[in-house]
Amino acid sequence: MEDPVVNVRTANWWSYVIAFLITALMFATAVYASNYFNNRRISEIRATQDDISSDILSIETQFDLLAEHSCSDIGESTILPSELTSLGSQLSYMESQGGRTEEITRLKRLYSLLLIKDYLLMQRVAEKCHLKPVFILYFYSNKGDCADCENQGYVLTGLSREYPQLRVYSFDYNLGVGALQTLISIHDIENALPALVINDKVYYGFHGIEDIKNILPQLATLEKSATSTDSKKK
Amino acid sequence: MNGVLIDQWIVYALLFASIYFEVFLLTSFIERRMGGLKIRKRISGALPTVAIVVPSFNEGKTIGGTISSLLALQYPKNKLEIIVVDDGSTDDTLCVAKRFESDSRVRVFYKENGGKHTAMNCALERTSAELIGCLDADSEVAPEALRAIVQVFENKQVAAATPGIHVKEPRTLLQMMQNVEYRLSIFNRFAFAAKGSTFITPGPFSLFRTGIVRELGAWRHAHSTEDMEMALRIQAAGFLIANVPEAIVHTTTPSTLPTLFRQRVRWTYGWLRNAIDYRYMFGNRAYGNLGLIILPSAILSIFAGLYFFARVVFFLVLSAVNTIDRVYDTGVYPQASFDPFYLTTSAVWLLIFMSVALVFALLCAGTMIGTGGRLPPRATPLFLVLYSFLAPLWYGAAVVRAAFKTGVRWR
Repeated sequence: MEDPVVNVRTANWWSYVIAFLITALMFATAVYASNYFNNRRISEIRATQDDISSDILSIETQFDLLAEHSCSDIGESTILPSELTSLGSQLSYMESQGGRTEEITRLKRLYSLLLIKDYLLMQRVAEKCHLKPVFILYFYSNKGDCADCENQGYVLTGLSREYPQLRVYSFDYNLGVGALQTLISIHDIENALPALVINDKVYYGFHGIEDIKNILPQLATLEKSATSTDSKKK
Repeated sequence: MNGVLIDQWIVYALLFASIYFEVFLLTSFIERRMGGLKIRKRISGALPTVAIVVPSFNEGKTIGGTISSLLALQYPKNKLEIIVVDDGSTDDTLCVAKRFESDSRVRVFYKENGGKHTAMNCALERTSAELIGCLDADSEVAPEALRAIVQVFENKQVAAATPGIHVKEPRTLLQMMQNVEYRLSIFNRFAFAAKGSTFITPGPFSLFRTGIVRELGAWRHAHSTEDMEMALRIQAAGFLIANVPEAIVHTTTPSTLPTLFRQRVRWTYGWLRNAIDYRYMFGNRAYGNLGLIILPSAILSIFAGLYFFARVVFFLVLSAVNTIDRVYDTGVYPQASFDPFYLTTSAVWLLIFMSVALVFALLCAGTMIGTGGRLPPRATPLFLVLYSFLAPLWYGAAVVRAAFKTGVRWR
């Protein structure tokens, strides 16, 4: 236990300066640590993108050798949809945190290119192997000019959760990527977002889960996730 | 500049101010630990005569224990008087107190109800002791407390001394959290005294030099917080206020939220109104640490608490409404993610964690000062999580009342 204490109240400026320096150091540490963790996240995203990129390259090469292989060696799964979805979520999260806009935009561009490559590859595999993949192209904007985009995103996330084999390709309409602009031109998508491309037909405006199930009856052919099946049973 | 940016700047400014204040206090403690500001633990001359006043109103259940603890004080009988002032109780307080009059040290007075300051002044008029102290009728002192506290009055500049206040037998969860809070108060009182800036002389067992109290004009109503006003008046007059953690007193704390709420609204209201009365001290270099940092920080902490609370509530409500809207619009239920990728690591959150860690360090220091132990009470995590949500409730009520000068009741 401490002995009694008493002192005059005269301000000792050194104690103010020392407290200021320690506080400033703590602030600097917090900012540095925050940047460090954000850098680690960016690195994680970059590593995932590299993995996906190399996966695509591998499957493309495999596809080029298709003549010498049977379709069963390739199958319908090119890149796992869950990996792409997870990468998209991570990028959305980083975007919502603000800051490092240029870095995030660059990663988003690369992500969009990967999505397009996966989409094209999937179509080629489907054509050669007579498969019927179920996919949706989704175009959104997060510039504040699309009131329904957020909810549409949640609906598609919910559908992906229910049908893990459903491939949802989400594209930021305003991202300045040449390949993406070409994709937009091919499907003749207007700037009236959200827009969904399902079975080569463009649908504008918000569409709920049931709407999409009606538009895309092939969904019924996909296997449901274990949790979704369980919840239905209940 | 948009609202979000202004909010960010306010958050950073408040975090900087609160961390700065915590660091400032912690460095004063470390400075003391390194050997400064010690008081000789020896009384050179004869022990001073002391009058301990027990102002009471309807405290028949606890006053017996209070007087018994005073009678057990290790202090010469001829130098101690215990003055019980029944402030117009309607229960058996007077009857219980009268039973102790057989002891020559005890005198009991009854008066019409007029508030605690009138009870103190009633005793002040009737004593010739060199020191006068107060012990609320819901508190009990340790036997060696008086001997420990009188030693600081060897210094003639010391006008008052505060004790180490502990929670008496914490039983409910709320009392356990207050037990933690009182450890923080032990630290604060110690650090404030080390900076010559004590601005509260609490009711449980603070001691005053009788002559100085008379010179300054006795106790005032002071918005039902005469203990704050007296300390500010002593500071304004240029005297010193010491802190003696060894002078241990145990006080009964509110056991339910409504009683705690009422008590804290009164404390905060009194503090705010007294701060307005003594506003000339704020930022005034003539009052040293007290004017430059302690008083401004004490006021800022109330508004910071309210701002952070309002902010948290606003974002929680907004998030809940958005989630409900989304579920209604989309039929998709939110799913919790345990991916460490999504753990928030923004600078603001890291600073909040640092601030909480500093509070924990202050609690450890408070425990060391008050008990000699190292670890704060077990309810500390609960206190750290819940108290920042509880305190703004009475802060808000007190700010509104202080703005409209509504006054507050004791009970």
